Amino acid sequence: MPLFKPSKKQIAQNAGKWEVVLSEEMCKACGFCLQICPVDVFAWRKVANRLGWFPMYVAHEENCIGCMLCFQICPDFCINVAPKEAETSVAAG
Amino acid sequence: MNKLAAKYLRPSQIPTKACHGCGIGMIENWLLQAIDEVGLRQEDVVFGTGIGCVGRQTFATWGGDNFGATHGRALAVATGLKIAQPDKKYLIVVGDGDAAAIGTSHLVHAARRNLGVTVICEDNMGYESTGGQFSPTTPAGYVTNSSPYGMVEPSFDPCDVVKAAGATFVAETTATQWHQTVKVVKKALENDGFSFVHVRFPCNENFGAYALGTRDTLKNLEWIWEHTQGRTVDGKETDFTWQTGIKHDASNSRPEFSKILRAMNERVRAETAEKGSGNGKH
Amino acid sequence: MALTEMALTQRLVAPWAEWEKRYTEGRRLLEAGTYALTEGAIAAGCRVFAGYPITPATDIAEYMSKRLPQVDGYYVQAEDELAGMHMCAGASLGGLKAMTATSGPGYTLMHDAYGWAITNEIPLVVVDAMRVGPISGITGAPGQGEFYVARYCTHGGNIETIVLSPNSVQESFWLTIDAFNLAERFRTVVTILTDQVISDMFEDLFLPRDYAELADVVVPRRHNLAMPFYPLNSASIDVPPNVVGLGTGVCVSAYTHTEEGYDIEEMEAQWAQTYRLVNKIRHHRDQILRYEAVGLEDAEVVAVAYGATSRTVKTGVMEARRRGVKAGFLRLISLWPFPDDLFARDTRYLVCELNYDGQLVREVMRAAPDKGKVHFMGKSAELHTVVEVATALEGVARRGMIPELPYIWTEVA
Repeated sequence: MPLFKPSKKQIAQNAGKWEVVLSEEMCKACGFCLQICPVDVFAWRKVANRLGWFPMYVAHEENCIGCMLCFQICPDFCINVAPKEAETSVAAG
Repeated sequence: MNKLAAKYLRPSQIPTKACHGCGIGMIENWLLQAIDEVGLRQEDVVFGTGIGCVGRQTFATWGGDNFGATHGRALAVATGLKIAQPDKKYLIVVGDGDAAAIGTSHLVHAARRNLGVTVICEDNMGYESTGGQFSPTTPAGYVTNSSPYGMVEPSFDPCDVVKAAGATFVAETTATQWHQTVKVVKKALENDGFSFVHVRFPCNENFGAYALGTRDTLKNLEWIWEHTQGRTVDGKETDFTWQTGIKHDASNSRPEFSKILRAMNERVRAETAEKGSGNGKH
Repeated sequence: MALTEMALTQRLVAPWAEWEKRYTEGRRLLEAGTYALTEGAIAAGCRVFAGYPITPATDIAEYMSKRLPQVDGYYVQAEDELAGMHMCAGASLGGLKAMTATSGPGYTLMHDAYGWAITNEIPLVVVDAMRVGPISGITGAPGQGEFYVARYCTHGGNIETIVLSPNSVQESFWLTIDAFNLAERFRTVVTILTDQVISDMFEDLFLPRDYAELADVVVPRRHNLAMPFYPLNSASIDVPPNVVGLGTGVCVSAYTHTEEGYDIEEMEAQWAQTYRLVNKIRHHRDQILRYEAVGLEDAEVVAVAYGATSRTVKTGVMEARRRGVKAGFLRLISLWPFPDDLFARDTRYLVCELNYDGQLVREVMRAAPDKGKVHFMGKSAELHTVVEVATALEGVARRGMIPELPYIWTEVA
């Protein structure tokens, strides 16, 4: 069974409820997040960062299903994935 | 960035000096998760490292107190520190050279004494910082910078060594086992005694280039994955498979070294109070 | 005739010249140098000893194993000397004063640890009880072969070191307290170079009744709680040592480092770090200078020695005076930084040391105005006898050379 699944799929539930942040200035373009993400959140920038790498960036945050694989696999602490805050507040009580 | 990095690490030291795709940063991320989930604050934990990739790329990243010792001697320094500051959690993050070659003597004796530290031996199966020479954990037959005809020296697993020496918690994971590593490090931290966690990880630049024939980060991580599960990505059996998991768990079953010394001091001072100090006699 | 009857001037430049007058209530014992060293360390507040037994320093380990638990300290018998000194460095980093003790073969294993402790300004005391070498040599014979090794105690250069040497059991007690004080004030490793004779011999030892009374002279351990952890480009002393475990965020490095302690690969950082490590000692040499001098003013030849050698050499000087030679005696107590100023007089020097290759003599040749007037009297495995020294002094004073004496080495080059 491969580590990086070649085919990506779109999973409907949970998608779009996650805030994905990637610090592009810290990215060293290893490609792990892009390859391990099952739903194609990331893509390559066309312009290099200060370190000289063409970093990843969050191209499709709305695809994110919160599997946290990218958070676990990033070797440079670039990525944070957290639930988005609810848009409508629930009444207390 | 990673919120745990923001909570625990030293901003001026990240991004680290590690090569792209290096496993050291991944493992440090999992260490931060374990530290956070056990409920430790930055001031509760002291990081100690050594020389070499694991030592250098980890050193000073921790935002709290930390030290980078001479090659192989992190555990000797940790022994002295633990005696002076016994209430801190010590994470000794060292490589295979530091732990399994030059520093093995101190590793064995720290395990024997059941020193209350957690050693994370991050193993890239060679001396990668100096270019990729073989180490005592390089797999048999592999070509490295100093084994151009294939590694002929037998290798060993430092887990076996520390277990025989008396370690009270021994576990092994790899760089494709993030959840297991976090779980195992949490257990290691909760052992008041010598904990040893052995994590194998890829080196793209040197081991990858010379032993595997590629610097491709994805292929190097896949090689780790293959040898973790015992099957290649196209379904064949691998040349060897690492035995991962908790190998020995006698957590909290033996007295911890700094506590042994303190117990002795209490006993001596109680006896002295009764009988007099005997100063001037020997 | 006694020294006083000879009306020779005597001078002892050392803090204990005053301490001995201040502390007069206590016990008088017949004890060995190793015992005095141990008690001096305990009195100075040492609470950790980590080392490996080796003749003639073994007794220090044994005494420490007995005394430290009595004062809530910790004795660790390390797996080797390298581990021992690293453990002491770790303990000192954690806030406890620490000491290790060894002899030559163990001392050479400590270079790595020396470098680490000196670079990171960790206070430590290391005792090297020298014996004949190289390597195991003659286990029970004194030597002085680590004179340069103690100065160049690690690799890489760019450091200064503080090295002291006692010559009696009583002095071993006070000097050890002094060594701990200097270690605290200068945030460095202070080496006590003693030898097998001073370590093993039994002599009169006075111990103050209550070590707590020494609070006036013992420099206590303080903690540096804020940046800068390493004040670079600064030669100041009396900076409190850094501490790990109190949440200051200090980095303790194996590399050239910044003020915060993490590694940096800039030439400017190397300059700044070296400026501090070298000048904190060089700019305060007057605080480190310790020596004993007898009859220097009119001396036509000055005998120079330290440690056990100085005992018989001093008597040899007195014997030479009786024979009509205007001999003077200079005993170095602080060996490094080398006291160049003590050799400013243009006179003849007779350097007596326990080695055949000539070490102290090279420094005296460098410091004295005319190296042609510096004479080497080297001996190994036995102390210089009084007759040998008096004869040599006579020869140097009257004929400008040491007469041929069996087993005395006089060539330097």
